[in-house]
Amino acid sequence: MSGQHFLVIGNGPAGNEAALTLREKAPDAQVTIISRNLGGSYCPHLIPDYIAGKIPEECLFVVTPDAYTDKNIKFRHGQRVVDLDPMKKTVILDHKEVIPFDGVIIAVGGKPRIPEYLRVFEDSLLTLKTVEDARIWVSMLPETDSVLLIGGDLTSFAVSKALIHLGKKIYFMLTEHAFWPLRPDGALLDEVSQRLACRGVEVISGKRLKSLTRPSGKCVAARFDDGYELEVGMIGAFYGLTPDIDFLRRSGFRMDRGVLVDEFLHTGFEGVYATGDCAQIYHPDLRDYWVSIGHANAVILGRTAANNLLGGEDQTAVVAESIFEVEGINVNTSWWMEF
Amino acid sequence: MPEVDLTIEICGMSGDGTIAAGGLLNAALSKAGFFLMAFDSYPAEIRGFGRCVTRSRVGMEEMLALASETHVLISLDDEQSLSRVPFLAKNATVFFDNRPPSFVEEGRSIAAHVGPDVTLLGVPFRDLTARATGTTRGRNLTALGAFAGAFDLPPGPFHEIIRKKFDPKGEKVVLANIKSFDAGLQYAREKLDRSAKGIFPVPQKTGEETDRVLLSGNTAIARGALDAGLKLYFGYPITPATPIMEYLAKALPEKGGRLLQMEDEISSIGAVLGSFYAGGRAMTATSGPGLSLMTELITHGVMAEIPAVIIDAQRGGPATGLPTKTEQSDLHAAVFGGPGDSARIVIAPTNVSECYGYTVKSFQIAEKYQTPVIVLTDFFLDNRVENVGMPRAVPEEIFDGNVYPDPSLKDRYRRFERTESGISPRSIPGMEGFLFTTTGLEHSEIGVPDYAPQNHMLMSDKRHRKITGAMADLPAPREFSKGGSLKVGVIAWGSTFGSALEAVRKAEKKGIRAGALKITSIFPYHADIIREFMARCGEILIPELNYEGQLANLIGHLFRKEVQRLDRVTGEPFPASIILEKIESLAK
Repeated sequence: MSGQHFLVIGNGPAGNEAALTLREKAPDAQVTIISRNLGGSYCPHLIPDYIAGKIPEECLFVVTPDAYTDKNIKFRHGQRVVDLDPMKKTVILDHKEVIPFDGVIIAVGGKPRIPEYLRVFEDSLLTLKTVEDARIWVSMLPETDSVLLIGGDLTSFAVSKALIHLGKKIYFMLTEHAFWPLRPDGALLDEVSQRLACRGVEVISGKRLKSLTRPSGKCVAARFDDGYELEVGMIGAFYGLTPDIDFLRRSGFRMDRGVLVDEFLHTGFEGVYATGDCAQIYHPDLRDYWVSIGHANAVILGRTAANNLLGGEDQTAVVAESIFEVEGINVNTSWWMEF
Repeated sequence: MPEVDLTIEICGMSGDGTIAAGGLLNAALSKAGFFLMAFDSYPAEIRGFGRCVTRSRVGMEEMLALASETHVLISLDDEQSLSRVPFLAKNATVFFDNRPPSFVEEGRSIAAHVGPDVTLLGVPFRDLTARATGTTRGRNLTALGAFAGAFDLPPGPFHEIIRKKFDPKGEKVVLANIKSFDAGLQYAREKLDRSAKGIFPVPQKTGEETDRVLLSGNTAIARGALDAGLKLYFGYPITPATPIMEYLAKALPEKGGRLLQMEDEISSIGAVLGSFYAGGRAMTATSGPGLSLMTELITHGVMAEIPAVIIDAQRGGPATGLPTKTEQSDLHAAVFGGPGDSARIVIAPTNVSECYGYTVKSFQIAEKYQTPVIVLTDFFLDNRVENVGMPRAVPEEIFDGNVYPDPSLKDRYRRFERTESGISPRSIPGMEGFLFTTTGLEHSEIGVPDYAPQNHMLMSDKRHRKITGAMADLPAPREFSKGGSLKVGVIAWGSTFGSALEAVRKAEKKGIRAGALKITSIFPYHADIIREFMARCGEILIPELNYEGQLANLIGHLFRKEVQRLDRVTGEPFPASIILEKIESLAK
């Protein structure tokens, strides 16, 4: 592997693990991480604790930029890949720098999903995916008494807990999309609703958001389809994540919502792998594609992609059960195949 | 108010508008109430290739020196800016054009070279400028706008300065430049991640009306000369002295004076001596190569006791040397250059304010002591910009420093009378009854050639007595310390003094008993004061921007043991950090 140049695009849990594995197993190769976000690799699941003030910002990072330097991994952050040519084996960065590679692992993860009908209100909605997003929450919360959480995904429950910890009034708009990417049944929704109410959260159900206006700089007015109106300081939109792979549209990859890869995470182009949240992985038994979510799965997939890029033949290990806890209710999320 | 100490660099290729952008930045920040020191570095060649860098250190207190690390780098040309990457401070911020006109190979963008601690902010300078104005020519202003937007600087002072600068070119040009600036500002406010490490809102100085003006050393010298009553300027262009001539070419005629570009430096000093001989205040400014040409006529001024004011803006030498780099290597030539025992007065300002004040003083001293005065500056001091307090009105008495003959001496006048002070009353040609002869030969009291052994002894003594006596009018060395005995004493001159003082202050904060002595009278020098300071120091350190340790050669003998020399000839200003390191090692 001496003299080879491996790129890892993205430094979430999968990308970070892939880069560290490449470094460990190919000590003579040049390893470069390209990340559009500034800063090191962070733990997304700790962000609610950060906005709750339970941990300082430094604790979000599992690997700091300097640590990459220590490991002889070139870390280009704040830089965005805008094109990848798997035949010429080059990527083009936003600033028109062309970088050749011998192997690449695409691990760009997801970006916050805003449903089409809400995009017109996008400026008034806060998402919570990156550290930059979290900083905005942290800067606004001291000035805010109440928060409306809409959409609902697994993150939104952790955020609810953080906001309760901070003594904020919470309105939670619970719909059948509330646990996206899961699709809960009515009984589960009822149970969650009751538990939220017990914690002092005002649950809004059976309503659809009709308009958002900003009567003043410090408050947002929400109007629902049944005429119900609400004024809050902030509105958080939690509709899950969608693979951030628009830059690959012209690259010739097979794509659905994510990049389609085989069980070895191979895209079909020599030396090109995709992993983590941005990959849809083929499973021979299912004869269908599945998507992994969750930090632990991402780490495993990152390692698998790196091993295979270096000549391994590791098949993706699908976790038999991956349990998420939602307000004390266990929810099985593995084998989730909807997208 | 939080402490701000920010060094901002703009780097580009000749023709990118780097220096212009730096000038606007400095003017706007000064207008906003900050203290600053700025310095431009550019190639010796006229235009078309070579690196231009502007460095501005901005803060809430008076700046003593440039910092050795850069907190913000604005790259107008990545290939040029790569050389600045090693000077980036930890957690620095880099602005660069992320939409260059063509694709670049890996490694040719600055994005490939900055460390992971650096916040890299891509701003499409060219695209934004083209969209705002239809041309990419104002992209330096767009870059400036992006910086202002990211760091929350108010656009008002920038708009005002842009308007002032481009007003002579018409409203269309003014608006195009303001649009370019605003395009960058808007982009930064809307698109850049301003929560990134390395970016912070620069606190505003409010409620403080400042009468501070932004001056370079060269401009301060020219203004000082004008305020001292300069009537005639003779010169031959040479870097880094030319800006003095450029300024005076416009300003001197407006005050009724005249400026003449001569065929060379020899004729320039000749004309200055002729002007003073006739009673008119005159000046010339040159650099090392010009000073060497002037040498013989300077000694003529010494022998014939004719005043002259010569600015020697030092640059890298010897010979043509490094025309656009800084050095302090003309001290030997200024003090000792020329045939015979030709003692003359040499003074060296250490900052922009002193460039003004000492130029004023040099006229008074030259006339009073009837001898050439050399003002030693250097490229860094000449070209650096500081916002300084408005110079105070020049006292009336300095407008005529001459010692005129008593009317009772009419027809008995001895132009070179050997007085106790060595100063002979001086008549101006045309004063009835006070005729005299002037010559570069050794002469008697009435000015006729006289080579008699005793006469040469007495006249040499008279001329040197005069120079020694001038110390009373020359600025004494100034000590910056907590007094008492010191572990390390730093003696510095010229532009290096600021770095030395900053280093000493940092050393004091680290608990080292250190002190700095500023020497501005290079010759004659105040030996008693220097000796007294040295006696209280365990070690004496003399940092200089020359190879030979020229000040150390001049005053080192006053110390009881060998002085520590710290000599650098990198062409760059002396970094305070290097002096601090040396102080720390000497203090151990």
